[in-house]
Amino acid sequence: MIAIDSLRFRNLVIDSLTIRPGITSIIGPNGSGKTTFLRICAGLELPHHGTVSIDDATPRTTEIGWVNEFPDRNILFARVNDEIASPLRFRHDTPCDAIDAEVRACAEAMHIAHLINREVRELSGGEKVLVSLAAALVHHPEVLLLDEYDSHLDALLAEKVDQVIRASGARYVIRCTQQMTTAAESDHLLFFDSGRVTHAGTPRDVFRFLEGTAFYPVLWECG
Amino acid sequence: MRITLDRACAVRDHWSLTASGTFDEGVHLVSGHTGSGKSTLALMMAGLFSLSGGSIGKGEITSCMLSLQFPELQVTGRTLEEECASWGAPAEEILGATGLVGRKDSSPLSLSRGELKRLHLASVFSRDYDLLLLDEPFSSLDCGEKSKLCTAIEQRSGITVIFTHEQEILPRVFRIWEIADGKLTDCGRPPDAYERWHHVPPAVKRLAALGSLPGNISTRDIREAACRIPG
Repeated sequence: MIAIDSLRFRNLVIDSLTIRPGITSIIGPNGSGKTTFLRICAGLELPHHGTVSIDDATPRTTEIGWVNEFPDRNILFARVNDEIASPLRFRHDTPCDAIDAEVRACAEAMHIAHLINREVRELSGGEKVLVSLAAALVHHPEVLLLDEYDSHLDALLAEKVDQVIRASGARYVIRCTQQMTTAAESDHLLFFDSGRVTHAGTPRDVFRFLEGTAFYPVLWECG
Repeated sequence: MRITLDRACAVRDHWSLTASGTFDEGVHLVSGHTGSGKSTLALMMAGLFSLSGGSIGKGEITSCMLSLQFPELQVTGRTLEEECASWGAPAEEILGATGLVGRKDSSPLSLSRGELKRLHLASVFSRDYDLLLLDEPFSSLDCGEKSKLCTAIEQRSGITVIFTHEQEILPRVFRIWEIADGKLTDCGRPPDAYERWHHVPPAVKRLAALGSLPGNISTRDIREAACRIPG
């Protein structure tokens, strides 16, 4: 379980929340605290008050995969191959040939093997996101945190990536999305509004409260 | 006014794109897979990408604006107030409309991506352009903001070209185009365009299967068609 207790940070107020293993989507208006919440779960920010524990460990002692909502802010290296390899190289405990094999396998799974020798700056926005996802997955994290990664992917690619994420072995996947069809296909759904989690449950539970709003999946209105 | 592409060709290291077609006044939707060349076509139409062949004619178009996919790349002001001013937009009005009142001295790069996109689009829409090119305008916007953007797009005059992979919340469009295998294809006007269009939104597909084809792709066309499902 990820357990959040008495959390206070900037505009974020969460008294008690548990997140079970599986895919959890976070939806809500821009500026409602979704990114801030992900940053706290990633250990990139420490709450002013309260605690976040991931299977009884702190975020900073947990293996985390992270994809920023700004694609260019994910990238450290000029070449795709170096970018994907970087999390393994920074560990200084994996032989080079093992790293190469992991990078190749990860790039193939993400359908970007053809980009491996390209310069990152030549890539489209969606391709940069795929590279960032590969770099987030290559070290097999326990927790995968994805901030609106799908806003740069077409529907077909988003579906393929979804399969890769599900097969990744990450115990927890928490993703912010503005695609309600994607949100509807999650195990758990959280709706954020003004820094608070106003609805939590299965997609069907949460969307029941959002009927008649722009957040209700258009597809669900079609029979 | 219209923009005419005659075998306009862009070549990059690993691929090329050839585009022909006429974009008349109204809202045009250009779809295509990730990396298919949508952004390159937007740059070509804005005159910001050197053509390797062919031509692009802009009859009677006196003003053109390209809204980039990544709003952070179009920031020039150090503060939100300066950023609005750089677009010739009234800061107080824009910050009020985008829920950013009280943050006029903040850096645009301190905003969340959704907030920055809202500020950027409000600045773009504060002026009229004969040709408005919107590269992934829906990306990072929440669903309510996407709906508002659709209204703003529908209310515009002139030529509006939307380059997007969005499939859920879309405006009513005049014509649909698609990029695949390095070529731009004119799919035609909805609803006839659906037959040739590979990126038909799932809601349109489902309604068509249920015998209630929406006349266009906007949310209100979808809802209207959903009410007409036979049986």
